[in-house]
Amino acid sequence: METLALIETLDRDGQPRQVLRVSQWPVRIGRAIDCDLVLDDPHVAAHHATLALRDDGVHVEPAASLNGVRLGRAVIAPGSTPVLSSSSTLTVGATTLRVRLAGEVLAPEQRLLDLLQYERRHAVTLMGLIVVAALWQAFSLWLASVPGAQGSAVALNYLSAPIGLVVWCALWAIGSMIFQRRFAFWAHLYVALKWLLIAVVTQAAAGQLAFALSLPFIDKLGRIVFVAAIAMMVWRHLGLLMPSRRRAFAIAIGSAVAVSGGLLLIDRGMQQQPLIGDLYLGTISLPGVRIARTVSADAFVKSAAPLEKTLARWAKPGDDDDAAEVGGDDD
Amino acid sequence: MFTRRRPRLVALLLSAVLSATAGATPPGSHPPAAPASPLAKPMPAASSAEDDRAAEDSANLSASARRIYDIGRPRLLQVRTLLRDQDSQASVGSGSLVGPDGLILTNYHVISQVALEPQRYRLNFQTVDGVTGALQLVAFDVVHDLALVRMAKPGPGVAARGQFEFRPAATPLAQGERIFSLGNPLDVGFVVVEGTYNGLVERSFLPQILFSGSLNPGMSGGPVLDDRGHIVGVNVATRRGSQQISFLVPAEFAQALIARSAQAKPITGPVEAEMARQLLAHQQQLTSRFVALPWRETKHAHYSVPVPQEDFMRCWGSSNPSESKGLSFERSDCQMDTAIYINEVLRTGDLAVRHEVYDGSKLGALRFAQEAGQSFRNEGMGRRTHDLTAPKCQEDFVESAGLPMRTVMCLRAYRRLPGLYDVAVLSQSVDAKTEGVQGRFDARGVSFENAMLLARHYLQGFAWKRSP
Repeated sequence: METLALIETLDRDGQPRQVLRVSQWPVRIGRAIDCDLVLDDPHVAAHHATLALRDDGVHVEPAASLNGVRLGRAVIAPGSTPVLSSSSTLTVGATTLRVRLAGEVLAPEQRLLDLLQYERRHAVTLMGLIVVAALWQAFSLWLASVPGAQGSAVALNYLSAPIGLVVWCALWAIGSMIFQRRFAFWAHLYVALKWLLIAVVTQAAAGQLAFALSLPFIDKLGRIVFVAAIAMMVWRHLGLLMPSRRRAFAIAIGSAVAVSGGLLLIDRGMQQQPLIGDLYLGTISLPGVRIARTVSADAFVKSAAPLEKTLARWAKPGDDDDAAEVGGDDD
Repeated sequence: MFTRRRPRLVALLLSAVLSATAGATPPGSHPPAAPASPLAKPMPAASSAEDDRAAEDSANLSASARRIYDIGRPRLLQVRTLLRDQDSQASVGSGSLVGPDGLILTNYHVISQVALEPQRYRLNFQTVDGVTGALQLVAFDVVHDLALVRMAKPGPGVAARGQFEFRPAATPLAQGERIFSLGNPLDVGFVVVEGTYNGLVERSFLPQILFSGSLNPGMSGGPVLDDRGHIVGVNVATRRGSQQISFLVPAEFAQALIARSAQAKPITGPVEAEMARQLLAHQQQLTSRFVALPWRETKHAHYSVPVPQEDFMRCWGSSNPSESKGLSFERSDCQMDTAIYINEVLRTGDLAVRHEVYDGSKLGALRFAQEAGQSFRNEGMGRRTHDLTAPKCQEDFVESAGLPMRTVMCLRAYRRLPGLYDVAVLSQSVDAKTEGVQGRFDARGVSFENAMLLARHYLQGFAWKRSP
């Protein structure tokens, strides 16, 4: 017999619990056993609603009931019998029904986010990233240590970052467990390591380059890249959780960064601080790294002449005299 | 890596915030000594002849202190800063009648709140015998911390009180002469304190008398008299954590201020322009004297570092233990003792020169660069405050006499004192893989032109030395 429609009773996760193949109209829905679709829901009347075929399509005809019927999100008004469109959701009592009609246009097939395949594809890169990160961490700790420093203290320092990273990735993996039914730890580790390394290495390289060329703005650019890479990392983590919402996440993260960044810039501007980065370039590198030429003390001092104008503007009495006292004593 | 010392002089102003606990612990001082201090033990009994002589001497001394106090008593006052709209006192100091119609000499820092914020504060006086009244600000010398105020409505009794005379400049005091400081310490009552004149403080840019006697907060602005009751100085400050190291403004500056301004009308408008004018004159003098001095020779094998002569600065050196496994360094820290009081948080008009010489041979090139960068980054340049703008910096590689350096110069403008700036120059050598020098120069309250002059002078003090 020809299937005219499918009525799926959905559980709370939206998965079908019970499917009714409809081969003739009308279909009566209710708690009474003479209904075509019998629902075991105390919030449903004996005869709650009827789906009936008319000339212009299938209509919902609610019967008298305490809780009524919702089509999509809208409550059907008494006396009204709206027509069903493709893939409508009906709520009767506490039960959600999905009605699919024969001949409706299907959405295209979606690509599967196969986390197992994702992890396999990036397995080698991930190994590489782990090695690079371990070396980077070891190098930075060695740089900051003095000869003969206590081994245990160094080891503890060395371990704190990886432990933090493992916890971070485990939390995301729990998220994957909820939304994708898979504890995708390695997938999240790949995302985290990749973007963290991009962030950290770019920043360090920007500092060195800024020193070499005596161009502090390169260091500031490095900081912007750092923030962008961290934002990118969070977006990728979220994408692993809910691939279908990537666009929304991008908008959300983008606007969060824009708003908080904007507020920060306004605050720094009001405090007369440089908008990005430090007051001056703090990187000192090896003598051989320097490419920029030196200037004489006299030329240097002359080049500072424009400071007078800026400071005159800053010193101008403003209406924010009292607001500025938050700075406090600077000695 | 430098640490900045706090100003070590404590002005003798007693403010109300502190006076709640003042009975037990004077502000800025250590807790009271334990009662059974060894210094307080009775002396062993001396022979009877010595006893008699000692008794006679002490009777004379005590008689002269009493005589001095009797001279001073009618002309001595407490100067109070009160809130404009109520009778609560914000701070108290002392003062002395030095002219007819109620002209009173005190410290600038005693009246600074009224001078800077007349909309919030007013001045009042109280004599030893309990007469009170309002005061008006007449003139101030912010550099020497002096001020003249006048009774708003001098009563008929004022003329009868007379006025203090100054000791003639022709008869200077000799070291060891007994002098007497008057004032009202901690608001507990008027006192006379005996002490010794010990000449001028050495290596001080602004002349100050070293008075070996105990001054306490609240005595600020009180007169210091010789044994004839003539003013030789004005109480101004004491050294924190010391015993009986106190400072007086020499009488000549007070006389000059009186000669200049005794007839002046009360100040009613803003004082900042006049204050800036005085500070600009001071910094001009300081800068010209400083740049006229050659830098001292430094002993380092490769670097000549600008270290100032100790004409009006003091230098302290330190180094970390030679067995240190990391960066070893030697440090020199030169500062002026005198800074000019502007308000409770702002001191200005002084210079500081510091440097550290690093030896990173135990660290290797990479780790040395890391440490050197850390030290360079750590320097504080200050933030925007009530009195100063945020710093604005200029940075570049600078070469002086063969030594390439990474140099940062930061300036801050005074928001209420037009034409004055703080300048800091930070410079670190970038010529060698495992050794280096980092220097910092600070000048507070200088003109932009002099900030540039001082910065150039400082940077040109660096040089690379060929190894012998």
